[in-house]
Amino acid sequence: MLNTSALGDELRQLLDNYPVTPGYDELVEPDGNIRARWQGVLDELADLGLDGLSQRSEEVQNLLHENGVTFNVYEDDAGKLRSWQLDPLPYVISTQDWEPLEQGLIQRSRLLEALVEDLYGERRVIRDGILPPELVYTHPAWLFAAADNQHRSERPMLIFHGMDVIRDHLGEWRVMADWTQAPSGAGYALENRILLARAMSTLYRDAPLRRLAGFLQAQHRCLAQLAQHHREEPNIVLLTPGPGSPGYFEHAWLANYMNFSLVEGGDLVVRDGQVAMRTLGGLKTVDVIVRQITDPWCDPLELRGDSLLGVPGLMQAARRGEVEIANTLGVGVLEHPALTCFMPALCEFLLGEPLLLKGRETRWCGEPEHLQDLLQFPPRWQLRDISDPGTVIHPEHLTTSQRERLQQAMQHSPHLYVGQLPMQAASTPSFNSREQRLQPQPVNLRLFSLADPGEMKKPARERQHRIMPGGLAWVAEPGTPVMESTLVKDIWVLAPVTQPHVSLLRQAHGPVLVTRDGKDLPSRVADSLFWMGRYGERLDNRTRLLRETLGHLLEDGQLPLDQTLLPDLFTALEVELPDFDSTEDTPALIRARKMNSRSSRQFILLREKLLDQLGEQSMDGLPWLFSHFLRNSRAVRDHLGDDAWRTLNSLRQKFNDLPRTQGASSGRRSLEDLVTHLAAFFGLCNETMPHHYGWRFMDIGRFIERLLTSLELLKLALITAQQPGIPLWEVVLATTDNLTVYRRRYRSQLHPTAILDLLLFDETNPRSVGYMLKRLGRQIERLPQPGSSPFRSRETRLVIEATSRLHLVDLDSLVDLDTSRDARKALEALLDQLIDPISSLSDAISHSHFSHAETPRQLVTLQTSV
Amino acid sequence: MKYLLRHTTRYDYTSSVTLSHNEARLLLRDLPWQKCENTRLIITPEPLRQHERRDFFGNRVVYFAIQDIHDSLEVTVESQVTTQPRPQPDIGMTTPWETVAEQMAPGSHHQNPVTEAACLEARLFTLDSPFIRRQPELAEFAMESFTPGRPLIEAILHLNRRIFTEFKYDPEFSTLATPVLDVLHNRKGVCQDFAHLAIGALRSIGLAARYVSGYLETLPPPGQEKLLGADASHAWLGVFVPSWGWMEIDPTNGSTPSERYLTLGWGRDYADVTPLKGVMNGGGAHDLHVAVDVLPAP
Repeated sequence: MLNTSALGDELRQLLDNYPVTPGYDELVEPDGNIRARWQGVLDELADLGLDGLSQRSEEVQNLLHENGVTFNVYEDDAGKLRSWQLDPLPYVISTQDWEPLEQGLIQRSRLLEALVEDLYGERRVIRDGILPPELVYTHPAWLFAAADNQHRSERPMLIFHGMDVIRDHLGEWRVMADWTQAPSGAGYALENRILLARAMSTLYRDAPLRRLAGFLQAQHRCLAQLAQHHREEPNIVLLTPGPGSPGYFEHAWLANYMNFSLVEGGDLVVRDGQVAMRTLGGLKTVDVIVRQITDPWCDPLELRGDSLLGVPGLMQAARRGEVEIANTLGVGVLEHPALTCFMPALCEFLLGEPLLLKGRETRWCGEPEHLQDLLQFPPRWQLRDISDPGTVIHPEHLTTSQRERLQQAMQHSPHLYVGQLPMQAASTPSFNSREQRLQPQPVNLRLFSLADPGEMKKPARERQHRIMPGGLAWVAEPGTPVMESTLVKDIWVLAPVTQPHVSLLRQAHGPVLVTRDGKDLPSRVADSLFWMGRYGERLDNRTRLLRETLGHLLEDGQLPLDQTLLPDLFTALEVELPDFDSTEDTPALIRARKMNSRSSRQFILLREKLLDQLGEQSMDGLPWLFSHFLRNSRAVRDHLGDDAWRTLNSLRQKFNDLPRTQGASSGRRSLEDLVTHLAAFFGLCNETMPHHYGWRFMDIGRFIERLLTSLELLKLALITAQQPGIPLWEVVLATTDNLTVYRRRYRSQLHPTAILDLLLFDETNPRSVGYMLKRLGRQIERLPQPGSSPFRSRETRLVIEATSRLHLVDLDSLVDLDTSRDARKALEALLDQLIDPISSLSDAISHSHFSHAETPRQLVTLQTSV
Repeated sequence: MKYLLRHTTRYDYTSSVTLSHNEARLLLRDLPWQKCENTRLIITPEPLRQHERRDFFGNRVVYFAIQDIHDSLEVTVESQVTTQPRPQPDIGMTTPWETVAEQMAPGSHHQNPVTEAACLEARLFTLDSPFIRRQPELAEFAMESFTPGRPLIEAILHLNRRIFTEFKYDPEFSTLATPVLDVLHNRKGVCQDFAHLAIGALRSIGLAARYVSGYLETLPPPGQEKLLGADASHAWLGVFVPSWGWMEIDPTNGSTPSERYLTLGWGRDYADVTPLKGVMNGGGAHDLHVAVDVLPAP
């Protein structure tokens, strides 16, 4: 029984039913007493009370959600992002427990560093028979191209090392896996710490826990040191596979936090032997690459030729020391799960000391006797195929023929198969918010080591590593990938005394590059910002127009169609009218009949067409537009403010719900809400983004889109409409958000000439064509001019063309629009003359400013031979 | 023998190339039986960067990058090569091939540490490689030569002769990456195919075999003069013989390489010794022109 006698009521309730298990429990000792390291935390929880804890927990989830902590798995549909919950209860490690763990982790980093240097250097471990050659040479991340040590630099290959650790049911630390290519999770760990410190400020301020800020600073110093022989203020970039990759959120987050440029392979090019970043102002040399791309994909010249993520020539640049890559290419071989079997021997051989931390139970089929055992598929053993990392094979779930195929494959290449025994983890309390009590759960930890920045240039034997005093914990059976967990935890390493709380946000920044966001802006980022602007604006316009149309449907939907504006509005939306003559039933008709709806057939069909625009199937429907908008926004995550990002996240939620909208009036309400959020998003962008190139590109995108929509609407309302007249003009004014301005200026009388003035010529009205042209002209003028030619750029000329047509138009020819045919003709000509150049503007800008690096191609050698 | 080697590879592109990164494995290795002098590598247009290094297998690799806009790329190697007869293993060696296959298997250990180290190093060449996968059908093919208890050397030479006599040399048939089984089924191919086939067969029965790329001096038909540019790249293979070394065979000609064979380099298969690799921006389609001369020097 749990000994709760010393606890207050609140805690007793919280610990209600918390079992005392025979295995190791993090919270409770075998005799039922609470472990000392939890005392402080529990006291704080008692102060919060049950309600307080629930509230905080909820707040944490909200913060997490708003900040868009999401990860994306390649297989998932684009745009379908999953996210996890954050346990308000941390994973607590006492000072006494931490010390041996820390020592063990440091040793492991030293060992792996020594191993990888040997593997890509002398290969003594293979020559002396410690490590079988087929284990090393068949790992997908073993790079033959990296195995020449003529230009080896005197610095560690393994700068940053992630280790998955559990405490097993006997209370012993076990290392489950190593992450060396692109160790993820440090960003999440920081984010979790920041959120929890915000939500549970007293607890975090007063708790005697080790702080993370120092580690991050050290990481920045470490990376800057790598480049020190180049320059004072090195250009450090974070190379990501892109927004489609599982870790993209973290990449963007870290880049932002550490003040690195977030780049994709296509942003980099090797020229003059150096790696350079394509920016608006031309090429800018890169000193250090923090790469988040796995080994085989980094260079299509020397590694996988089919890689579109990498940079051709990167290996050679790194080999020549022109650029430093952290971690060095080729270290991925250290992630081989069968290395565990050889760790004790390797440790003795390379370091001359016994291995401190045990790994997990592992058998490598490259050893004939283990192959024979595992071919029988002994119960509980799982298998891993080295050529397919990340996949765990459960033989008991396979069909007979699958098992036979697996056995054949194992016999053909035994060295590619590894058996692992599932581990049993100690139980750790986590907060069950639904039942409001603590529950024992298995937990995995990801901990990180860093090559000590002060000792990087020392000989390998004297170098040290430091361990991040914290990390990412996730609730799941041991060995479950972090991505598959739904609940994560902060890790507390207790310090003997309370350590000063250092704000991670203020102090961890590295040296500030004064020119950031200037011409250094990667061309791809400018491209994405431009399209974010265009898609966002298009989304806004369509949303408004749909809202107006649904309004008219509700008012006039039962009237004969030719007495309503609906045909014109459908035209404006570019949606075809439903086929009223068809005798076939549509899904909406069937549903209406079932529900004995009193609405007319016409109404139902029209409504169905409009609500289709909220569905995911419709091309050019709102969710489709939003997914493009979101994709571009995600690609520039590090350029958007936190508040703008939060707004984007609630928009995402709304768009997820949108396809389920039933009924015209609720549809209209949802759209109303979207309009407000979109306005908030762009408002925040305008308020928080530095008004520099990036912002200008977004603005240009928005205004090109808005201009084109306004012109098309004007053309419809004043010239091509079937039902021209005041009601339609009202729609135009409402869609362009001009109705209030108009009313104030002209009272309630609507007159075409007045509308025309307001929407075309009045430069003080931000929704007028005149204003928009002026703004575009100004923005374009201030873009960097590549190649500084004395001639005006094409985009400038296009804006001048449109502006002068507007300015030079004979106003007298446009009066009496409602009666004069000639006036309408003149207006139509004018509108076309405006639409023409503006339609070409987008291409012109894209041509002058965005990177058009074509995908590099392989030179195929077909050789004639005898 | 003394030779003047000249090997030109020329690409003509249909549209301009703005940037290209390349790797050439076109420089001959120095070997106990092969010395190269006055070697020149001429690249047009002249590359901005050019560096030579040794790869994992010890082959000479030249990296070069061209940044000027260009419509063609020409790479020429010239070298004076002196060759001598290669050492040959004792034809009378009686070790049965099964013993050798056992020695090459993981988990086996050799008494002599030098042999042990050599075997460990050669084990890489018993494994699958980018173009060659071990399979039962190939093992079956090998077994016709590797009959039970047959001495290793004898069996290797038998396989070498068999490919030469049973397969048709057919330059029309092969594309670059002809799967080894296609070669086996169709009984035809070119030198790369035959080398890949033999390597696949040997690896499928547990032996170590590596791909060798190089040149062969061809002799004109009797009474005719040798045409310039008529020679070509050639490929053969080496088989690992424990306690002795790498024995070379040429299944395309059913012979063992002599002084007339010039060695560029070796690897697990063609992928490791591709003469010219590149990644470029632009280029469109391209025409390829190759000319090789292996001329006896006075």
